[in-house]
Amino acid sequence: MDLVKSGADPEETLEAGYESKLVLTLNSGEDNRTVETSYFSRPIPLRFILLLALAVHGPLLALQLPLTNSYDANFHVFFASHYAHHWFDPWNPKWFAGFSQATYPPLTHQWIALLSYVFGLHFAYLIVQLVAVLLIPVSVYRYARLWVDERASSYAALFSVFVGAVAFLVYSAGQLPTTLSAPLYLLAVPYFYDWSRSADGGALIKGVVLTLTAGAVHHVTLIFGSVLFAFPVLWLAVIDRGEERRGISVVLRGLIFAVFAGVGLGIVLMPYWVELIRHPIQQMPIPHASRSNLLLNATYFTNYFLVPYGMLVIALPFILWYGAANRRLRPLLIGFWVTFIFGLGGTTPVPKLLLGRAFDVLTFERFTLSAALMTLPIVGLLAERAMERNARRAALGFAAAAIITLALPMAWIALTPFSANASLNVDAVDNFLNRDGHDRYRYLTLGFGNSLPKVSTYTDANSVDGEYNSARLLPEFTRYGTAQLTSAKYFGTNGMEALRMMLRHASHYGLKYIFIHDPYYEPLISFAGWKQVESYDNGAITVWSREDIPPARPIPSDAMPTALEGLLWGTLPLASSILAILFAFLIPDRQRVRSEVLLPFPPAAEPEGVLMREAR
Amino acid sequence: MKRVLPIFIVVVTAVLLITAWFQSGGAQRREMRSANSPEQAVRLMLSQIQSHNYDAAYDRLANRTDIDKTSFMREFQGSYGSLLTYASLEKFEVSPLHSTDSDANVRAHLHYSTAVGPLDDNRDMKVQKSGDIWKVVWPVSQSAKLPPQVIPVNYLRWDVISRGASDDWGVQNVDSPQVRIVSMNAIQRPDSVVLVGEVVNEDSVPAYVNVGATLLDAGGKELAQESSFDKISHVLLPKQVTPYRIDFPSMRLEKIKNVRMDAKALLVAASADPVIEINQQKMETDPLGKKVLRGDLLNQSGQIVNIPHVIAAYYDSNGKVIWVSDGYVAQALLPQIPVSFAVDVPPDIAKNVQTYRVVVNHYDTNSQS
Repeated sequence: MDLVKSGADPEETLEAGYESKLVLTLNSGEDNRTVETSYFSRPIPLRFILLLALAVHGPLLALQLPLTNSYDANFHVFFASHYAHHWFDPWNPKWFAGFSQATYPPLTHQWIALLSYVFGLHFAYLIVQLVAVLLIPVSVYRYARLWVDERASSYAALFSVFVGAVAFLVYSAGQLPTTLSAPLYLLAVPYFYDWSRSADGGALIKGVVLTLTAGAVHHVTLIFGSVLFAFPVLWLAVIDRGEERRGISVVLRGLIFAVFAGVGLGIVLMPYWVELIRHPIQQMPIPHASRSNLLLNATYFTNYFLVPYGMLVIALPFILWYGAANRRLRPLLIGFWVTFIFGLGGTTPVPKLLLGRAFDVLTFERFTLSAALMTLPIVGLLAERAMERNARRAALGFAAAAIITLALPMAWIALTPFSANASLNVDAVDNFLNRDGHDRYRYLTLGFGNSLPKVSTYTDANSVDGEYNSARLLPEFTRYGTAQLTSAKYFGTNGMEALRMMLRHASHYGLKYIFIHDPYYEPLISFAGWKQVESYDNGAITVWSREDIPPARPIPSDAMPTALEGLLWGTLPLASSILAILFAFLIPDRQRVRSEVLLPFPPAAEPEGVLMREAR
Repeated sequence: MKRVLPIFIVVVTAVLLITAWFQSGGAQRREMRSANSPEQAVRLMLSQIQSHNYDAAYDRLANRTDIDKTSFMREFQGSYGSLLTYASLEKFEVSPLHSTDSDANVRAHLHYSTAVGPLDDNRDMKVQKSGDIWKVVWPVSQSAKLPPQVIPVNYLRWDVISRGASDDWGVQNVDSPQVRIVSMNAIQRPDSVVLVGEVVNEDSVPAYVNVGATLLDAGGKELAQESSFDKISHVLLPKQVTPYRIDFPSMRLEKIKNVRMDAKALLVAASADPVIEINQQKMETDPLGKKVLRGDLLNQSGQIVNIPHVIAAYYDSNGKVIWVSDGYVAQALLPQIPVSFAVDVPPDIAKNVQTYRVVVNHYDTNSQS
C-alpha cells in the first residue's frame, strides 16, 4: 500500500495513514510485501531514541545545569532534604517560621530523598531528572501510537528529546515535578484509551495507578492534564470504538476511570486536600510574567513562546493543516489548540475567563510543555510524509530544526535578562548559621535569588522567608503581592512593603541575622537598626545583626499536619509509584503479548485484520 | 471540516489575540507613541524612563541643547549614592494644568519604589508643540559647586573595645546605657492606632536604642506588638533625644486598656560626625493643598551623606508630642550645599501644632563596613 501519492487528497492520504498504523502495529513493513531496509523508511527503535536522550541530556545534567542555573531545582532539593531527615513529618520549620510540605505533592522529593541516602541530594536530584527526561520519549511514543503509525510515533519520540519546552523547564525553570508528571500522565493516557474503548481491565488498573503516581508527583499537571490530554483521547476512543460498541459505553468507561482516579487521588494526596480545605490560597496575587500579554514585551515573548516552542512555531501551519485533514487527529488538534491558548497566558483573554482567580495563582509555562508534547504526533506524521518525499533532505531539515529547538533554550540561559542567581556560593552563610548558637535565631537572606534554598538545606537555622508561595500563611506575605523576600525589590513597592513589615516584626519572629548579597537592601536594614558584623567573598555577602532580638520561639500554626497525615503522606504516594513500577512488569500490555509472536521473515501474508483493531 | 477547522482555529485565535491586545492597553500604547497631545508626550517620556530607555526619553525633550543626557538621567537615577540610586519609577499619573495650541503645562505624579519604601514626587512640566508632535521642556537646574577646601574634623567619637571577633556589636556584658522614655501619646487615626513620643539617652556613653510597645486589653491579653522600626534614630549620643513613632494598623483605641512600653538600650560605638544643620523650618501648604513641614538640610562635614532621613516631632501648646512624621530625602547631602526637605503633617493635627523639632538620621555607604 503506497501511503503517499503525489497529488492525492490529503484526507484520503491521512486516513490511509491511519489504516497503515493498524497494519504496521503487528507486522512492520508487511503491507507491501517487501522489507524496508533504508533507515529512513523504518521506525526508529525506541532503544536508540533513549540512547540519544541519554547522550543529549546526560552531559547537560552531569554539568549540574539545573542546580546552578534554574529557578526551582534548589527548592526541590530543599524539600527532598526535609523528607530525608523527617520522612513522616511534613511540617518544615525552616521556612516561613514553619510550613506544611503537604501543600506540595511529595513523590519527586521522596524519590530524591531515598536516592540521597546513597548518592547525596544533588546527584539524586539529577538522577530523578534524568529518569524524567528518559521517560518523555517513551511516553510520547506510547501517546503518539494512539494517533499515528509506528514510524511517525518513533519520529515524535525522537523529536521529544529536543523539545525546547522540556529543555526550558529542566535547565532554566528547574520544574522537575512538571517534567516527571507529564510523561507519567502521558503513559497513563493510552491505558485510559484502552479501557475506555475496549474495557481492558488490566489497562484500567495500570492507567489508574499511573495517574495516581503522576498526581503524587505534580498536582497541577494532573488537574489540567486530565482535561487537556484525556478529553481528546476519550473522543478518539469514541471514534475508534468500532461498530459493535456504543459511544455512550466508551464515555461511561471513561467516567469510571475518572472516578477511580479521583477517589485514588483523594486518598493518596489526602493531607494535601486537607491543607487546601483548611487554608485555601487567598493571598494577594503575585505577578508572574507568564500571565502577561506576551505580545507587548519582546523578552517575555522570547522567554515564554519562542524558546519553549523553537522550530515548532514554523511547523504550526502544517500541524493545523494535517491535524484538520484527518478525522482521527482532529481531537488532538483541538486539544493542542486549547492547551496552546492556555500556554499563551494573558496573551488571550481565555485563561483568565475560564480560570477566574486561579489565573492569578498559576504560571503558564507548564501549558506550553503540554502543548508542545501534544503536537509531536502530528509533527511525527509530518516528518514521515516529508521523509517519503525526499528522505535525505527531510532528515537533514528536521535534524537541523530539532537541534535549533534544543539550542535555543540553552542559549537563552546565557542571554536572558532574568537570572535565577542559583549558583551563589553560600557555604560561608551556612557556616555562620551553624556556629556559636546562631541557629537559635531566625535569619533572612536578601538578594540571594534562588540560592535561598541552598542556604536552608544545609543549616539548622530557620528563616522567615521561603520560596514556595502557596504554603505561606504569615500575614507579612499574604497581604502583599510579592514572592520571596530575598527578591523583594523585583516586586516594587509591594515587595519592599512586605519586607518592611517583616523587619518591623523581627522581635516577634526572632529574626536577628540578615545576609545581604545586594547592596540595594542595605539602607533599609541600616535604618531599621541592624549593623553589619561580617562580610564574605570580598564583601559580596555581608552579615547584619540586631542585638536586641530575642531568640526565636515556635510560631503556633493550625496548618501543622497530624501524625496520621504524616504517616499517609510518607507511605501512599511512594507506594503508588512502586505499584506502578510493579504493574508495568507484572501486568503485560495486550500489545506486548501479541508482539511476542514471532513473525516470519520475510513476513507472510497473514489475515491480521481482526487482531488489528485490538492492537495497541 | 478539513478546511473549516483550520480557518475556524486561525480566526478565533486572531480574535482572541486582538481582544487581549486591546485589553492589555496595546492600543493606548500605540496612541501614546504618536505624542500628539501634551499628556501623551509626557506619558511617552515617562514610560521610556520607566523602561530605562533613557536615550529615547532624552530624544523627547524640546530643550536638548540646554541639558546634557547625563544630567537628565541623574534626575531619575540619582547620584552620589542618593536614595534615587536605589529607586525605580514604578508608576506615574499625568494631568493637564494649562494648554494652548503651542504650549502646555502638565503635572506628573511620580511614584518610585525605593530601597526604604515608596517615594512620591510631583513635577510640573512645560510641554511645547514641535511640528506635529509635543515635546517636554525639561527644567534646567544649576547645581551649586564649591571650590576645593579643607574642612577640619573635630567631632566627638566613642569607640568600644570588645573581647574578640566573636563578640556581638552591642556590648551586653556591661551595664546598659540609661535611656528613658520621656513621653508617650496614643492617637487614634482612621486606620490605625499610633503611639508617639520621645526617648532620651541620659547616660554619658552612646546607646543603641529601640522602642517596642505591646497593647493589652482589659483582661491583660496581648492585642498587638510592634516596634518603632525606622521611625526613630537608633543611635543616641549622650543626652540626645529622639522622637519615635509606633504604628498599629487596623487597631482601635477603645480596645486598649494598657500599653507596655519597652526601650531596649545597648552600648555601642558612635560618632558625632557628620553634623547636619536644619534651617528654614516652617509649616506650609504645598501645591497639592497638603500641610507639610519644610526646611533645608546642610551637611557641615566634608563627607557625603548618601541618604538623609528626617524625623519630626510636633508639640501642642502644652509641649506634648502630638505627632511624629518622617521622610527620606531623595538627594544626597554634599558638603556645605543645602538640600530642602518636606514631611507631611495630617491636616487635623497640623492645626494644633505649636512647635516642632527635627532630627536627622542618615545612611552612608562608607560607614557600613
